[in-house]
Amino acid sequence: MSTSTAKPSTAKPKAMIQDNTRCIGCRACMVACKSWNERPEDHTDFFAGDGYQNPRDLNANNYTLITFNEVVNAPKPDWVFGRQLCMHCIQPACASACPTTAMFKTDLGPVVFDESRCIGCRACMQACPFIIPKYDYESFAPKIHKCTFCADRLEVGLEPACAKVCPTGAITFGDRDDMVVEAKRRIAAAPGTYIPEIYGLDEVGGTSVLHLSSVPFEQIGYITGLPKTPMPDLTHRWLRMTAPVFAFLYAVFGALNWIVRRRMRHQKSEGEHS
Amino acid sequence: MNWRIRLTWWDKTLLAIMAIGAIFAFVRFATGIGTVANINNAYPWGWWVGYGIMTMIAIGGVGFTITALVEIFGVERYHSFVRPAVLMAFLCYASAITMLMVELGRPWMVWMVLVSWAPTSALYEVGWCAFLYLSVLALEFAQVPAEEAGWGRVFRILRAIYIPIMLLGVTLSHLHQSSLGTLMTLIPHKINVLWWSDNLPLLYLFSAMMAGPAMAILEHLAAARWLGFRPRMDLLAGLAKIEMWLVGLFLAFQMGDLFYRGAADAMFIPSWFAVSFWIEIGLGLMLPFVLLLMPEVRETRRGLATACALVIAGILLHRLNVAVIGLRVRHWETYFPSVGEVMITLAITAAAMFAFGYFARILPIHEELPPPEKKPHPAAHPAGVLRGAEGVS
Repeated sequence: MSTSTAKPSTAKPKAMIQDNTRCIGCRACMVACKSWNERPEDHTDFFAGDGYQNPRDLNANNYTLITFNEVVNAPKPDWVFGRQLCMHCIQPACASACPTTAMFKTDLGPVVFDESRCIGCRACMQACPFIIPKYDYESFAPKIHKCTFCADRLEVGLEPACAKVCPTGAITFGDRDDMVVEAKRRIAAAPGTYIPEIYGLDEVGGTSVLHLSSVPFEQIGYITGLPKTPMPDLTHRWLRMTAPVFAFLYAVFGALNWIVRRRMRHQKSEGEHS
Repeated sequence: MNWRIRLTWWDKTLLAIMAIGAIFAFVRFATGIGTVANINNAYPWGWWVGYGIMTMIAIGGVGFTITALVEIFGVERYHSFVRPAVLMAFLCYASAITMLMVELGRPWMVWMVLVSWAPTSALYEVGWCAFLYLSVLALEFAQVPAEEAGWGRVFRILRAIYIPIMLLGVTLSHLHQSSLGTLMTLIPHKINVLWWSDNLPLLYLFSAMMAGPAMAILEHLAAARWLGFRPRMDLLAGLAKIEMWLVGLFLAFQMGDLFYRGAADAMFIPSWFAVSFWIEIGLGLMLPFVLLLMPEVRETRRGLATACALVIAGILLHRLNVAVIGLRVRHWETYFPSVGEVMITLAITAAAMFAFGYFARILPIHEELPPPEKKPHPAAHPAGVLRGAEGVS
């Protein structure tokens, strides 16, 4: 908790460490998130549904979720927690896909959503490599729902609500540069506890949430095998050619059309002479 | 001019489909997307985008393909295909935009695209291009009703701007047909390896070109049958030959791309993806290619209709495979279109077909038909107005 209470001093990009080895599955972060973001409750069934994990997935009312994973950790099975929330990519695919800049990246790091600009095309949902943005399809004026990194709290120098309430120090908030150093320090200090991997350090070019774990990330429901380069690069290499291609094609087509028309004028005048 | 038509059983069928779709559309607008559609958090785009937008825009490629063939490459003999092609393209794009208005969560905000600056978004480019191209098509086609109605001044202005507008339309089409593919390059982690490619923009562009002659041939055959004229089999055979080349080259490009990416193994892994892939390649490309190689097919109505319908179905399946069927998000999440989703798209398609049939009967779209009866007026021009500002005949 010690690092998480320090107020951010400057406007450097922020990040959170999600240290799953310290998580006890109390879900205080989920409650604090709902409370701060004023999300209504969902009806859940304790044993009829997905067991202890509720709900099964993120949705329009749940911006973060503690996942309960049974992992066979020889010789005995083990219960390992993971967490889902928006990763706040340094170069977010969702924001790059948005045709109206309703989804955008702020200087402090949060990727936030401005409903007054949204047309509801859901390109952000399709684009997200972590499958985070959710939609309220039942609503008459639907909105994109996802973790905001408590951007409003960050603006006034507070930490995100989830980091504030975590009772075991599993969530640590600070400048991203410092968080990367801290995450590496923890792995180096206790190599038996952690796998030597920081999820989010360079996934899709780096994210603002850095996950640590005791077991491989694919075993606790994380999407692995993502490229290490920013997702917007994939479309950028085509889209940057738009203006030159437009000019080139227009000129070529114009020239061809001019030749064709000239040829036809000649044919016509020849026809008149003969 | 006479604006009235006599409704045939075919018109009445289309109107009935439109009425059913309108009920579903009403429910969608009254109660939200979730009531009528199965699209969900894992599959935010489904049949509406795969068919209603992506396929509609692809087959709307008939407009720029035939226009380019005649006006830019100067293959004059296909001139009579330009008017139907431009009208079809206009209606396809109008359908796609209508679909968009149903599919968007906040359709009343759609103008926001035009006042935003989002050059990193493929959808932004598609939005702008589609909006501009729809306007271009309207300006291109407006010559026909303007001439018919005897609006001399409007007609002269439209003819004067025809060449630059037509060039703009062909250029814009290249851009947004490919940008629809660019849109899908962003999600390599979701689309099956059989379909995700760096070259999706080119695959989308080339398949839209492939739709051109096929749609033109199908339209000509249908119009000949229902409007009662003798189809120009000599011209159709020529278009079929172009189509044969386009299908063959596209097949080579798609397979070449697959092997170049090292993804060809996936074709032989037994899975529903492979099944869908082989239907797309086998029935949508290989079979029509083989059929079109045969002169007997290129010279008969039935052969042409079969081959071209297969090509169009193949393009539909390609778009669905890339945007819907080939997508896997998480193992427990699935999507299958609902009756409401399908009925709304069918209604929009029916409306486009009804509109085409209507215009084909009140306006001189087909040169093969005698012009509709009208009073002579000074602005009337004997030659087809889409022959360009020069008025070449």
